[in-house]
Amino acid sequence: MKPQILMSVFAIFCTALYADSFFERLFEKKDGSIKVAQHIKDRLYIKECGSCHFAYQPEFLPSRSWKKIVSNLEDHFGTDASLESEDLESIEEFLITNAGDKTELKAKKFALSSDRGDIPVRITDLPYFKKEHKEIDKNAVKNEKIKSFANCSACHTDAAPGLYEEKAIVIPGYGRWED
Amino acid sequence: MKRALLIATLILVAANASEIENYLKELAIEAKKEDPNFKAFSAERGKKIFFTYGIGKRGKKIACTSCHTEDLTKPGKNIFTGKEIEPLSPKVNKKRLKNLKDVKKWLKRNFKDVYNKEGSPKEKGDVLTYILNQ
Repeated sequence: MKPQILMSVFAIFCTALYADSFFERLFEKKDGSIKVAQHIKDRLYIKECGSCHFAYQPEFLPSRSWKKIVSNLEDHFGTDASLESEDLESIEEFLITNAGDKTELKAKKFALSSDRGDIPVRITDLPYFKKEHKEIDKNAVKNEKIKSFANCSACHTDAAPGLYEEKAIVIPGYGRWED
Repeated sequence: MKRALLIATLILVAANASEIENYLKELAIEAKKEDPNFKAFSAERGKKIFFTYGIGKRGKKIACTSCHTEDLTKPGKNIFTGKEIEPLSPKVNKKRLKNLKDVKKWLKRNFKDVYNKEGSPKEKGDVLTYILNQ
């Protein structure tokens, strides 16, 4: 490939990268929201993990938890979720490099709320998760549309873009949540 | 350029289609090894497997239809997590049964989910034939 073509491709690539983060920042400023966790773009993670459940942002758990989870996908909370080794490696890297102990995003509060000696495998077991959800009736989440506290996006309508704002909470069978 | 792209697409489509067909042929050879009387896969037997309840994961009595519903042209829902599942029928969902790696993965996992064991080559072929015909 000619150097000029190579340079143009590189320039377009850089512009696209910059534009992406620029618009993201612009969007966030406009509605005054601060990101809690990332808006996941990793297609393999979305495909392999997000087919069965909400694609949890890696920031919510510390890296030691993700290591434990991916090491036993044959029995993943009672389900065989095993992966081919190349996919497993790629997903593990994504989870570990973005984990709660490697980020400045707000979700790290969840990951860092567990005792250092613990290796939590459920976000819902974390002390900070429990604190944030203590006002929610345990029976309310048994609603067919929610199933359990593990189904983030059932009530947090902005969970996928990682915003988790209070004003975006709509609990099925209950309605909007206002503190 | 356009023609080259068209040809490339056609080759890709043909390659993908035969990938699943070849897999069915492989399964048929395996099935014949296990049972010399085996003739061919049957969508009818596959349907029976798909609709039969087993004691599956977490000790719960489930069938394939518990999540995928009895109409494969409709979306389903994971009964454990509530996550929506796109229709299995390749007629309404063009992405289905195109990628062999995905097909093998789900057949392995979902047999274990419902029956707590992996399907035999005959069972896998029957279920795959049933889904392909929906």
